[in-house]
Amino acid sequence: MENYRIFDSELDKLAHKVIQMCSQVNLQLINVVLALRTSDLKLARKVINNDELINSLDVKIDKLCQKIFALQQPVATDLRYIISSLKINNDLERVGDHVTNIAKRIEPLQDYKSLVEELGIYEIGQKTAEIFSKVVELVKSHELTIAETIMEEAEALKDECKLIAAKVLEEMMHQSEVVVVATNLLVIINIFERISSYSINIAESITFVVNGEIVKHRKQN
Amino acid sequence: MSENKIHTENMFLYYSEKMALNNISITIPEKKVTAFIGPSGCGKSTFLRSLNRMNDLIDGVRIDGKVMIDGVNIYDKNIDVVNLRKKVGMVFQKSNPFAKSIYENVAYGPKINGVNDKSHLDEIVETALKNAAIWEEVKDRLGDSALGLSGGQQQRLCIARTLAVNPEIVLMDEPASALDPLSTAKIEELIVQLKEKYTIVIVTHNMQQAARISDNTAFFYLGELIEHDKTKKIFTNPEKKQTEDYITGRFG
Repeated sequence: MENYRIFDSELDKLAHKVIQMCSQVNLQLINVVLALRTSDLKLARKVINNDELINSLDVKIDKLCQKIFALQQPVATDLRYIISSLKINNDLERVGDHVTNIAKRIEPLQDYKSLVEELGIYEIGQKTAEIFSKVVELVKSHELTIAETIMEEAEALKDECKLIAAKVLEEMMHQSEVVVVATNLLVIINIFERISSYSINIAESITFVVNGEIVKHRKQN
Repeated sequence: MSENKIHTENMFLYYSEKMALNNISITIPEKKVTAFIGPSGCGKSTFLRSLNRMNDLIDGVRIDGKVMIDGVNIYDKNIDVVNLRKKVGMVFQKSNPFAKSIYENVAYGPKINGVNDKSHLDEIVETALKNAAIWEEVKDRLGDSALGLSGGQQQRLCIARTLAVNPEIVLMDEPASALDPLSTAKIEELIVQLKEKYTIVIVTHNMQQAARISDNTAFFYLGELIEHDKTKKIFTNPEKKQTEDYITGRFG
């Protein structure tokens, strides 16, 4: 019954680019967490420079979606896939920017390694990266059990980030000399929390592609 | 008046021995646009034509099951087919104006239905042409031949001719498939306006057209009604794989 359409090659191209973008962002996240742990400024610099590649992929995906909308008038699953690709692309680009933001803050943290370790910043970075690796897997497989896992784990991580942020604030109140470094830490914690939110967004977008169900804001509703 | 204008139940249609419609049960709401889509030969036009008994004119056609309009089975023996077709008007793919003046084309139906008063006829003609969104283009040349109009104007004239006998349902069989994009847009805009007063059922091969103008869409395949739902649902998340394959162009 099924036959090959010219349209399919465009969809394949789009799928390939979205996976490429997702893998690239994942690599950036893994590298920035490693650079944070090891105070590797060279690696941090590399992360900052690589953001350009992500930005260029972002534009390519936008253009491809625009072209498909204009020329193919997608409907049903195709339509949901392209709408979601645009949203996922946007989320990935934002994650990319957040990762470079962390990279830029690694240098001022060099002299406070024990504080950073004590507050558990590396651990939440590591967990964020682990969840994001599942996002890559999900974008490749469209397997909804992975989406459910991501949503659960990322929500838990967001709660953890809030607890650690409270601890940092406490440190700030007791030791005025750590205010500057603690401000940087608050930004980083907030970024890990944001990346968790973007992971949830992407899991919701893939759920929409697969079954047409809009699951975002489910908790609020 | 019932909210559900047309309702069929376990309807089968045969061309001699060949089954062309297989167990069609559907409810079509009043004052909405319902689009029938499906590949050529799927039975959608046959089904459309059965709604005002146009298939009666074809030898060997047999219909089983119920075809109800306003709760009355239109295939009952005591049904007056002329009255039925007054109530259920039809517009065809190819515009087919009579070789008469624009005025006479529209006045023809009311006249054979016994309206003779000139001022009343004038009023009917003007209203029908206005409702068909062509009045402004033809009001100064009502005496000219209808054949001098463009294809798009001829089609709107045919719609006006249908509206002149005051139908409740208008069946349209690919009414814009032979028209350029601008005329198509005018017909589509007109269809959306017409649903304020009429129940519209349209057969179209143009998927985007069905998506643009209809409230509900029914997908037919091999004589069966595969899926019937809100157009928004059909084009974003259809229930059946066959529907999805057809509307996304994956049908072999």
